[in-house]
Amino acid sequence: MVTGAVVTAPGLSSYLKSLKSTPVEPSVEHLISLLKRRQIRNSRPCAVATLALLSRVVGEFKGRDAAKLVERIRQIGRRLTSAQPREVVVGNIIRRVLGLVREVVEDNVEAVTEATSDAGQSHPAHHDSLHRPQLISSISTFSPLKHASAEPMDSSSHYSENMSDSGEMSKRPPLLTSHTSYAPTSTAPLVNSLFGLFSHPDTPSASNTPTGVQPPDGKGTLTSLNLERLADSSHSRFDLKGEVMNGIQEIQDELEQTDDSIADNALHHIHSNEIILTHTASSTVQKFLLAAARKRKFTVVHVETHPHDHTATHSILLTGKKRDAEDDEEDSWKPLRSAGIQVVMIPDSHVYAIMSQVNKVILATHTVLANGALVAASGARMIASAAKAHQTPVVVVSGLYKLSPVYPFDIDELIEYGDAGSVVPYEDGDFVDLVDVENPLYDYVPADLVDLYITNLGGHAPSYLYRIVADHYRTEDINL
Amino acid sequence: MPPKGKKAQGSEKSKAQDDERDEPLQAVILADPFETRFSPFTLEHPRCLLPLANTPLIEYTFEFLANAGVEDVYVYCGAHRDQVEEYINESKWMSQVASPFSKLELIQSTSHSIGDAMRDLDTRGLLVGDFLLVYGDVVSNLPLESALAQHRARRAKDKNAIMTMVLREAGTRHRTKAQGTSPIFVIDPSKDRCLHFEQMPNKEQSHFLSIDPLTLSDHQEIEIRQDLIDCGIDICTPDVLALWSDNFDFQAPRKGFLHQVLKDWELNGKTIHTHIVTDHYAARVRNLHAYDAVSKDIVSRWAYPLCPDSNLVRGQTYRLQKGNIYKEDGVILARDCVINPKTVIGRSTSVGDGSIISNSIIGRHCQIGRGVKIDGAYIWDHVNIGDGSIVNKSIIASEASLGKRCIIEAGALISHGVSIGERKTILGTQRITRSKRKRDNSDEVVRGEPDTAIVGAGGSGFEFRDSEEEDEDEPVDELVARGGLYNLASLSFSAESISTLNSESEEDFQISHQRSEAGSFVSVGSVDSATSHHAHNFDHDAAASIYDSLVEGHESANIQLELTSLRMSTNASEHQVRRAVVVAFVKRITQLIKAGTSVRDAVAQVFGQHQDLLTRTMFDKNASNKTDQVDFLVLLQGDLVNKDGGDSILLSAATKLVEMDVIEDDAMVQWWEGPKSSEDEGMRKVREKTQQLIDFLNQSSEEEDSEEDEEDEEDDDSE
Repeated sequence: MVTGAVVTAPGLSSYLKSLKSTPVEPSVEHLISLLKRRQIRNSRPCAVATLALLSRVVGEFKGRDAAKLVERIRQIGRRLTSAQPREVVVGNIIRRVLGLVREVVEDNVEAVTEATSDAGQSHPAHHDSLHRPQLISSISTFSPLKHASAEPMDSSSHYSENMSDSGEMSKRPPLLTSHTSYAPTSTAPLVNSLFGLFSHPDTPSASNTPTGVQPPDGKGTLTSLNLERLADSSHSRFDLKGEVMNGIQEIQDELEQTDDSIADNALHHIHSNEIILTHTASSTVQKFLLAAARKRKFTVVHVETHPHDHTATHSILLTGKKRDAEDDEEDSWKPLRSAGIQVVMIPDSHVYAIMSQVNKVILATHTVLANGALVAASGARMIASAAKAHQTPVVVVSGLYKLSPVYPFDIDELIEYGDAGSVVPYEDGDFVDLVDVENPLYDYVPADLVDLYITNLGGHAPSYLYRIVADHYRTEDINL
Repeated sequence: MPPKGKKAQGSEKSKAQDDERDEPLQAVILADPFETRFSPFTLEHPRCLLPLANTPLIEYTFEFLANAGVEDVYVYCGAHRDQVEEYINESKWMSQVASPFSKLELIQSTSHSIGDAMRDLDTRGLLVGDFLLVYGDVVSNLPLESALAQHRARRAKDKNAIMTMVLREAGTRHRTKAQGTSPIFVIDPSKDRCLHFEQMPNKEQSHFLSIDPLTLSDHQEIEIRQDLIDCGIDICTPDVLALWSDNFDFQAPRKGFLHQVLKDWELNGKTIHTHIVTDHYAARVRNLHAYDAVSKDIVSRWAYPLCPDSNLVRGQTYRLQKGNIYKEDGVILARDCVINPKTVIGRSTSVGDGSIISNSIIGRHCQIGRGVKIDGAYIWDHVNIGDGSIVNKSIIASEASLGKRCIIEAGALISHGVSIGERKTILGTQRITRSKRKRDNSDEVVRGEPDTAIVGAGGSGFEFRDSEEEDEDEPVDELVARGGLYNLASLSFSAESISTLNSESEEDFQISHQRSEAGSFVSVGSVDSATSHHAHNFDHDAAASIYDSLVEGHESANIQLELTSLRMSTNASEHQVRRAVVVAFVKRITQLIKAGTSVRDAVAQVFGQHQDLLTRTMFDKNASNKTDQVDFLVLLQGDLVNKDGGDSILLSAATKLVEMDVIEDDAMVQWWEGPKSSEDEGMRKVREKTQQLIDFLNQSSEEEDSEEDEEDEEDDDSE
């Protein structure tokens, strides 16, 4: 597939290939420039590339100091997310791996502390079951007012500071530890966490103009108790690297199997003779529908998502393959037609008209946010709103890796605006000169328009997503 | 220049396995297109580092090359090499870690035109396979795979397919297209072959395109297109460089090279192809008008992902807000200032109360006072704008400062470091700078005296006038382009914009300028500027071939043969043959003189060997009216006007010719007395010394020729 006699433009496949022979630091820069140039885009390729890079980083990591490893991954994470903040998946994968390192350390520390029963500081091991009370207690130290004032600042710092290379070390807000006693003093680092969301559901605050004020220096927090303990663990004898690598391998497997495990749920949700509406070229949705098609007959109405995704949509309907160039690692599958399913393709403008006949809407997504909202290909919100008007259930299928702990303070920040040339031909000189064209690539769909999420773990209500976030990400890592 | 350390080794290693079919893609960036279109900004800074949407121009070019998967990059620097070098060394493209290129090299040369640069490149022999030739001002997000694949497929089939031009379709009217001059491509769509190229208005200042009738009969289908943006991206083979070297009068890549190679297709058989793209973005920032258009395209995301919020350069932190407003971190806006759509504001810039900014690009660390109105302006870094000023469509370069209540009208250009006092109005036709060239054609600049009438008390700067503008005969095209950019600044611009030396349409003038240095010896302009197109062709080829033969010492007969066949094929007149001979001979003589031969020896050596050749160019031996011989002498005289020591060469040559009996005494006298030989100052001057010979001839025709030899001897010694 890769490079015939002709030089090919860089992309995911060439990146993965080069990763084997290139040292870590150039690889990081390479990925950053690919992300900036959008040569790697969309959730899955981003996730695959990030994970491959991290496994290389861990593989090359020298020494046994877990704190250093955490800091190294964190630092790479900051650079990657600042390169392309709208590919939230990159941050998700970084956080997953960070959580993995911590977990490995804690498991071993626990073993050590149990053995020695060192009474100085008893560290309750962080099993997920313990999260809830801790978070509640820490949130109680804040007044709601404080949250409101802190929100915009945090949202701006989350994106902006990460984008500047120069200031990234100094401007980082204090780390959040889950120790209740370690109450943050100044800039409310907790606002990104789950409970913050629920005290202020879905209100992107009016004051989301960036203030330009730099958050206070947060360097000192590296010496938090948690990291101290991580550092301590370097004395113990266990194979940090090996275990982390195993964990990364597990995440890699999870990525590969995501579509299949989501598809396992298909029969619970799609019934015979239903009319299903979906959009964009999503392999997850296609596999989901195909799984159902093995046993049942139904009709699919496919929205073509003009202008930026329609070619991919067309080809996925005709051949079952997204693009012939990019996803070589992705096995192609038979199109729905060949499974005997009737597929009707409609333009985006027909969605409302046809919605009254639709039994269920299945949406693919770009990112799922912690409050149950999602960022999906443009047109998704219109579909979801139309479904709401007709009381049609909206089901979102998404791999867990797309689930992000990021809370949408500034929706505009999450939405990428693409090439205006795909809406209006650039040849049209007068148009180009006189008309401003905007081409948002994504839509923000608020949580109340979604009825059900199906992930590789099964179905969840949007209001339950916080729980899954808590299971998968450590609160320490929410701010990279 | 360190090669790319580990990465290079790594990639080489991996390449070694699957190579042989895969040679690295090379690219040449012409960082300096040898023009002065961006004066006065380019006086102090190189053109490729001028900021476009707050990012230096060359970054976009590098981005484009990285996007295309290029591995080796050669940057051809012209003026301000030190600055370019410093910038590139600091940038990520040079760093071992971040650069996607395995090799990045700066080449310095003394070239004064693109033609020279290309010939220089050829002699260096750096380029082994196909390479990309781009300018240092290309902005494009085009993936080149398909263009490259097509180029290689064509090349595998036919070795003569030497070049593929990438062109972007753009409709009949478009802001990003070149204004005024419009390139016309005649294309055979079935083979994507470019058959003819002409720039409108053409050399004769007309808008007529003359196509060879053969073109029409040979091709089933042709397209004549003027709706294409020529973005200056060429995929070339090394043959292209060889062609440049073969014809050393080529200066401009399109008007000169492309036009000529297509014309000579029957002679050299080389074909040039086009790759026309209908999606993606590709443009060149070729002049100020294009600067304006491309900036707008970038801000409006037509060039996505080349947008400010992609933060191409390290340390940039632009973020997009609704309505294409891009702000970097740390922008300080007063509470009641208004930022309208399509605006870019850099870090640490502060905007005061009540200011209104729209459609503008503002750099870093600018101080914008209260109540300022800025519309459609380009303001670079570290600029101060006083309270209450109004800035319309204009460019204010870095570190400039405006006093309170200034008005900058649309079209004004304010260069680096200029400061303008209070309550001044800068007209749209004015270009204010602080520095001027020390001498013509040198990069050194000195600071000029402030002109307080323009910049006000306490200001610094004066109105910029380009030294070239007096002797340039600029076609109208540049004016139109400028007028298009700043539509208020219309007619009065003609005088000012003359400086913009338009290399694409000014080939002839370029040549006469650079004749002495660049070695282009077909200087038609001074003697006979009414030459037809065809003849022009013949001049190039004939003169070049004679010169080559002279250098290599071929025999007269061979040269004669070659010349005759050339003459037949192009249907050239005797006059042209003579001119070609004269040009080539003079070229050879001056070269010998430079090499240290004395004038007399040089003349004797060159003329002496080729008596046959010379006599066969003139056919009026027995006529009483020696028009051919007179013509020859006039040509010789004209060609020597601009040469060093032309007068003594003329004397020796004339003497030698008389001595060889190529020119008869009568002819010499007729020439001397004819009106053409003393038409202007230069002609009179160059023939001054030959007076002795004429005196002698007059004497000898009156008296006996007994002492001829001795006299002759004396004449020559007197030099």
